[in-house]
Parts: sequence; structure tokens; C-alpha cells
Amino acid sequence: MATHRCCALWSYCGRRWSRVMRCCRLSGLCSSWPSGPLGARHLSQEKPATETHFGFETVSEEEKRGKVYHVFESVAKKYDVMNDMMSLGIHRIWKDLLLCKMRPFPGTQLLDVAGGTGDIAFRFLNYVQAQHKGKQKRQLRAQQNLSWEEIAKKYQNEEDPLGGSRVVVCDINKEMLKIGKQKARAQGYKAGLAWVLGDAEELPFDDDKFDVYTIAFGIRNVTHIDQALQEAHRVLKPGGRFLCLEFSQVNNPLISRLYDLYSFQVIPVLGEVIAGDWKSYQYLVESIRQFPSQEEFREMIEDAGFEKVTYESLTSGIVAIHSGFKL
Amino acid sequence: MAMLLRSALRPLRALGGRRGPAADVWLRGARHGAGLLYPGHIPTSPLQKALLAAGSAGMALYNPYRHDMVAVLGETTGYYALKFLRDQMRKDPEGAEILQKRPRISLSTLDLDKLRSLPEGSLGQEYLRFLDVNRVSPDTRAPTRFVDDEELAYVIQRYREVHDILHTLLGMPTNLLGEITVKWFEAVQTHLPMCILGALFGPIRLSAQSLQVLISELIPWAVQNGHRAPCVLNLYYERRWEQPLRALREELGITDAPHVHVRGLA
Repeated sequence: MATHRCCALWSYCGRRWSRVMRCCRLSGLCSSWPSGPLGARHLSQEKPATETHFGFETVSEEEKRGKVYHVFESVAKKYDVMNDMMSLGIHRIWKDLLLCKMRPFPGTQLLDVAGGTGDIAFRFLNYVQAQHKGKQKRQLRAQQNLSWEEIAKKYQNEEDPLGGSRVVVCDINKEMLKIGKQKARAQGYKAGLAWVLGDAEELPFDDDKFDVYTIAFGIRNVTHIDQALQEAHRVLKPGGRFLCLEFSQVNNPLISRLYDLYSFQVIPVLGEVIAGDWKSYQYLVESIRQFPSQEEFREMIEDAGFEKVTYESLTSGIVAIHSGFKL
Repeated sequence: MAMLLRSALRPLRALGGRRGPAADVWLRGARHGAGLLYPGHIPTSPLQKALLAAGSAGMALYNPYRHDMVAVLGETTGYYALKFLRDQMRKDPEGAEILQKRPRISLSTLDLDKLRSLPEGSLGQEYLRFLDVNRVSPDTRAPTRFVDDEELAYVIQRYREVHDILHTLLGMPTNLLGEITVKWFEAVQTHLPMCILGALFGPIRLSAQSLQVLISELIPWAVQNGHRAPCVLNLYYERRWEQPLRALREELGITDAPHVHVRGLA
């Protein structure tokens, strides 16, 4: 199966060695690919100028970082509009499902990496606020009389509506953070929210700080996915949860063909017409194809030290939510 | 081997399932490196061109400030018109020279000081004055991306760069009324679907008074001149900067623009 895949790619894509390297990475045969699961970290320390993929292009690793930055810098303003257009609004459901899986309680400290425009953070705040209100309602209904202090606090509005929950949104891109902050101001989110400029491969936080780490549609843009996973392991508290929402491989062949047709024919056109940017959206659909499958990614997460790693495919595998625990 | 490939490809969801490199382009769109005919070229399938044409037409109507959408519409719908234009250029000696030498009009290729020093009433002077008064620059023209023939890509690029010179020749400002008039002239000259669509749908956004002026005076004048003048892409404008504008207009058979006074327009 793996060799067939190699043969197919070889005749398909021409004689570029990098393409064969990529196919070997997928099958796990060749261990010299930096972001693969086998022998990866060792070799990436030896060869500083290794090559990686940027969509279907081959670029050096330093180049990739800069190129990804430019992509998100240019799409930032129309990011949310394009998400709605491209997924026909379904991305909202995916993000809601991520929150449902997370089931945060008041007091949860969330780190949302590559959180840019704040979709996950705002949903988290809404969820926790609703939970807190629900808890208060239940208290009142159960005839548990509030103490005078609690009533006084209510009148003074001193009670934290989030119940101690905090979310830190971390992104490498200034433009995306800017848009996120504007959205927060426009939608009235003030408390419990912090915006930090940081790199997923080198997070500016201490060890054992957060209860939940999420990364939604961001990890495929990271140059060294294994480093990002290790950082995630580091900043989580013991017992903390890692959640990743990302595009993945479709398991149904018919839907896969339709999905490919839609991705490659329609999405760059949408990008050109709505955002005036064909190339960024071409990169987007290509980067989705380059990302490992659900099982491979699960193995990568396990390699980083997480346990009880599971995944759930949504919409026939177009996206998948991976979850792991630091125990 | 082909049978092996075919059976191997069936379970390979990641590759899109189509066979052969041609189908690969069809499904996967633009490639990197191979297949690019000129810098900035994005190869597109017929489906993508159709979607682009429809999308850009809609967006251009919705938001007239999206000049890039007008450009994309021109590129995706102009195949036959561009071939016709190219053949026109090949038949004319000056046009054939342009096709061979491929001159470009941009701020980097224009010698602005020399143009400014030209006598009053010359093409170069009037062109610069037009750029200054209307605050436009030849560098704002989008580069060609979706034309799949390298020579035709140059033809449409030349058409875009000559557009401002046409404004100067016709004496039309860059407000909506002026642009529509120039579009009518261009539609008759080039037969580009984008010009025809722009000429027909542009007036939707005009006021009643402007529309009346357009229909009664400007359109007949533009159409007459368009028919009378030879192909405007056949002029090597870079050699004609010193030529007095009046003489050039006489050569092309372009009459003076009708004086129109519309409230609210210069």
C-alpha cells in the first residue's frame, strides 16, 4: 500500500525528489523527514537548512515561517467572511462541537494557540458564563438561601461572571490579533481575556500553567508540529487537556472527490473574488492535503507525551478533533 | 502498470482520484513552477474560469471600486477578442513592432522629466496632466494572471496600460460618466466582453440626468469615433510623446468631445 502510494506519486507529480520525500514521510518508511514521527527530532537538529512543504511547494524552513506569516497577514481582514463563505457556515458548528467536547467549568484556564480572531476564545467565554449563570439559577431554585455577603456582592457587581475562568489567546501574527481585539471590543468581551503575541513552537509561558490547550485550524501552519506538541505538553498542568481541531483526511472516496473538486476549483476563486487573494487560499487547500491523517497525527500527539489520545472525525473526516491528556 | 496504478489509486483519498497529469491540473488547479507561461501566471481550468467570470462580474457590479474584479473579468472572458486584437496588431506594421518589442507603460519606464519638458499640447504633456489632475498612476493596473497564452497576456496588459492614454485622446475624465464613455469606445474597438458588459451595465449606477446626457450625446459620439478610428492598440505611443495631441486626434479621426454640463460633475 505504501509503495503503491510512492509509485503513484512518482508518476503523478514528476521527478521532484522532494515529492518522493513527502510520500515517504506519509508512509513512515523514510525517517529523514523532519516532521515525521520516526527519528524526527534527532535529524532536525543535525541538518539546520532542511526543506519542508508550503502547500505543494517545497521551501526551506525559514522561508515557510515567513510565507505563512504573509498569508495570514493578508487574509486577516476577510478571514471570518471567507471562513463563512468557504465552509458555508459549517465552521461555526465545528467550533461549537469543540467547545462541547471541552466542557469547561467555571475556573478553567484556557490557552488558545493560533487563536487569532478569537472564535474559540469567545465561545469559551460564552459557555463558561452560561454555566455560571446556570449554576446560580440552580442554587436559587434549590432554595439555598444566599448569604448576606453574596447578596451584597451581587449588588456591587463584584462577583466574577466567569467564575474564575480565563482565556489567553496566543497568535504569532499581529494582524490576526488586531482583528481579534477589534472583534472583542465590538462584541463586548472584556473580562477574562488576554491577547499574547507568541510562537506555538516556543510559547512565552511557564510550565504547568493551563488546564486546557486548544489549537483550532492552526497546527498545520506550524513549521515543526512536534515542537508545538511538546510545548503544549509543557504548559499544561498535570491533568490538563490538549484539544486540536484541524482539517484531516476524508474517509469516504466519493465525498473525497467532491471535496477535492470543491477545494481546488471553488475555494481559490472565492478567495480571488471576495478577498482579492488567490494564492493564500491555494496555499490553504494545499496545506490541508499535506497534513497527516487522523491516525498519524494521533501518534504524533502520543510521541509528545500525551496519554489517552483519541480523535473524532466530523463531516466525514473533513475535520477531526484530537484530544489528549497530560497525566 | 496503468492497471496497477489505477487499482492503487482507488483507496488513495488524498490524491483526489483523477488519473493523469491533465486531470491533475483540472482537479488541483495551479501548479508551482511547471506550466507557468509568464511571471504571475495562474493556470486555471475551464470551470475555474467560468466561476471567476461570474464571481468577478457580480462583485464588480456590487462594489465598483474593485478594479481588480473588472480586470479578472476581462482576462477570463476575453479569449476570442484578444485573439482578434492580436491578429489586428500583427497585420499592422506598427502593431507588429509592439508585439515584438513588448513595451510597457509604467512609472519606471516613463521618463517623467522628459515628458514634462515637452511642448504644450503634445501627447506626453497632456497625458501627464491627465494623470496629475485625476490623481491616477499607470502602476495601478493589475498584472495579468488568468490568460493562458503568453502573447495574449501581453495584449491585454498593453490594453490596460493604453486605457489612460485613451482617456487623454478622448478628453474624458475618470468619473463614472467618463469611464463609461471610454468603455463604449473600447467596446467598439476591441470587442472585449468585459468592455461590452461594462458599457451596458455601468450606467445602472448613474443618475437620471447623467443617463440622459450619456444616451443622447456621449454614446453616439463614442461609437462613431470607435468605428472611425483604426485599432488604437496599433500605435506605438512611446514614440509619439512629442506629437501634438490635436494632430494625433486628426490622424485617428477622433472629433472633439461634446461639451456636457452635468450637475455635480467637473
